[in-house]
Amino acid sequence: MKWSQLAFVGRRVRHSLWELLWNHVLTSGTMAMSLFVFGVFILLQENLQHLLKGWGDQVQINAYLDTNVASNEAQSILERIQSLPEVEHVRHISKEQAWRDFQTALGAQSAVLEGLPVDVLPASFEIAVKVPSRSGPLVEELASRLEKIEGIAAVEYPQEWVERLSLIVLAVQWAKWVLGGILFVATFFIVGSTVRLALLARKEEIEIMQLVGASEELIQAPFVLEGMLQGTIGGGLSLLGLWLFYLFLQQHFFLAFPLFGSMIQIRFLDPHSIALLLVIGLLLGGMGSLFSLRRFLRTWRG
Amino acid sequence: MIQLFHVTKTYPSNSPALVDISLQIDRGQFVFLTGPSGAGKTTLLKLLFREEEPTEGQILFDNQNVTRLNTRGVARLRRRIGLVFQEFKLLPRLTVLENVALAAQVVGMSRKESHIKAYRLLRELGLKGKYDSKPLMLSGGEQQRVAIARALINDPMLVLADEPTGNLDPVMAEETMRVFLKMRETGTTLIVASHNLELIKRYGSRIISLRQGGLVDDLERVTGAKAS
Repeated sequence: MKWSQLAFVGRRVRHSLWELLWNHVLTSGTMAMSLFVFGVFILLQENLQHLLKGWGDQVQINAYLDTNVASNEAQSILERIQSLPEVEHVRHISKEQAWRDFQTALGAQSAVLEGLPVDVLPASFEIAVKVPSRSGPLVEELASRLEKIEGIAAVEYPQEWVERLSLIVLAVQWAKWVLGGILFVATFFIVGSTVRLALLARKEEIEIMQLVGASEELIQAPFVLEGMLQGTIGGGLSLLGLWLFYLFLQQHFFLAFPLFGSMIQIRFLDPHSIALLLVIGLLLGGMGSLFSLRRFLRTWRG
Repeated sequence: MIQLFHVTKTYPSNSPALVDISLQIDRGQFVFLTGPSGAGKTTLLKLLFREEEPTEGQILFDNQNVTRLNTRGVARLRRRIGLVFQEFKLLPRLTVLENVALAAQVVGMSRKESHIKAYRLLRELGLKGKYDSKPLMLSGGEQQRVAIARALINDPMLVLADEPTGNLDPVMAEETMRVFLKMRETGTTLIVASHNLELIKRYGSRIISLRQGGLVDDLERVTGAKAS
């Protein structure tokens, strides 16, 4: 295509944007909604994955002591645990220390602890596991051995949660593509219908262009460009919506769940996901237009 | 320049629109296609600019087989043909100047260059001062001249006109024919489908008559002899 023809395409896109402004706004809005729903799933998935990564990095077992264990007994339990080959190091957390740690974790929300006795939390051991023993079954086996030690009331390890949450992340990932796929197919056809309306509005013009020898590319290019533009604008609008949603969550999540809110930092989409949303928008718009255009022109030519 | 070999066109569930037509049209000829409604005049024109494909037979345009062209080839063919229709086919939302320039821009002429050429053509066709008017503000004859300007802007080898005077009063029809005659002086080949016998008698140098899809007469006025 020559430069003069590219300029011609540009002029036609500009004309169409003005003439069929509401048509374009509606399509971009529809695409923004689909991409927003898809983006919410990405946001959820990314945050869960971040959470999991944080937990997974610190494979650690918490062994809570019975309330009646004396400090010398606690010391001998610590030495016993320390002697286990899988254990890297052990830290004793007294009831007072546990209380202080919890207050720190709650931060501004620590007022909720007012009125509770300082020894309400049990003393415990934080057991760091050596790297070769950090796989699920090995941690599980170590935890069951620790549970059998006299004086230990309960054993918890994040690996358990990591595995459970991994399943949730997987489910979110599947839901994202299945629901996203359905939405994208619907959007694809909505874009197609809008293009058909635009084609009908400019049928005469296309017919004349064909009669004077315009190439197929020149006839199709403005519509495809318009579709791509609509898709990119739709993607941009969905990102704006997601940013507002993210700000809303940041504010309201803390209020609704003060305990989790202070411990979990919600993150916005990473640059890859932002680019993904924009590219999906662009492709949906462009392909939807092209598909509808080809069908329309084929039927028209008979 | 144009050769038709045993061309037949049949539309589905219809009797044949054209039956076994063979003819040759040379460069620079002014040909009238005539015959009653349904004789096949429009179909023959449509076959020449590949709006339709023949059911049988071959059509050569400037030694190129029109029946074997792909989409790209059809676009290239049409850039060498100027088309004029009875209903003008002008875009009402564009100005007269834009309507004419559009045909040049789609084949790659710059906006500026196309406007200069469109101005010149419109002036030559007596439409000076109408550049910025919308087609619906013009008379039928003026609209037809705009359509002729559009047909000429890409310097076509061939101009096909389908009932170009059908919607015009006699004065306007005469005026349009004079424009065609002037066009002929530049060496452009003209094929005009019409059943206006007055005009055919006055201006036709070669008259091809069709009836029920068949070629019934092919007469050249200069020699008075039948064309081969």
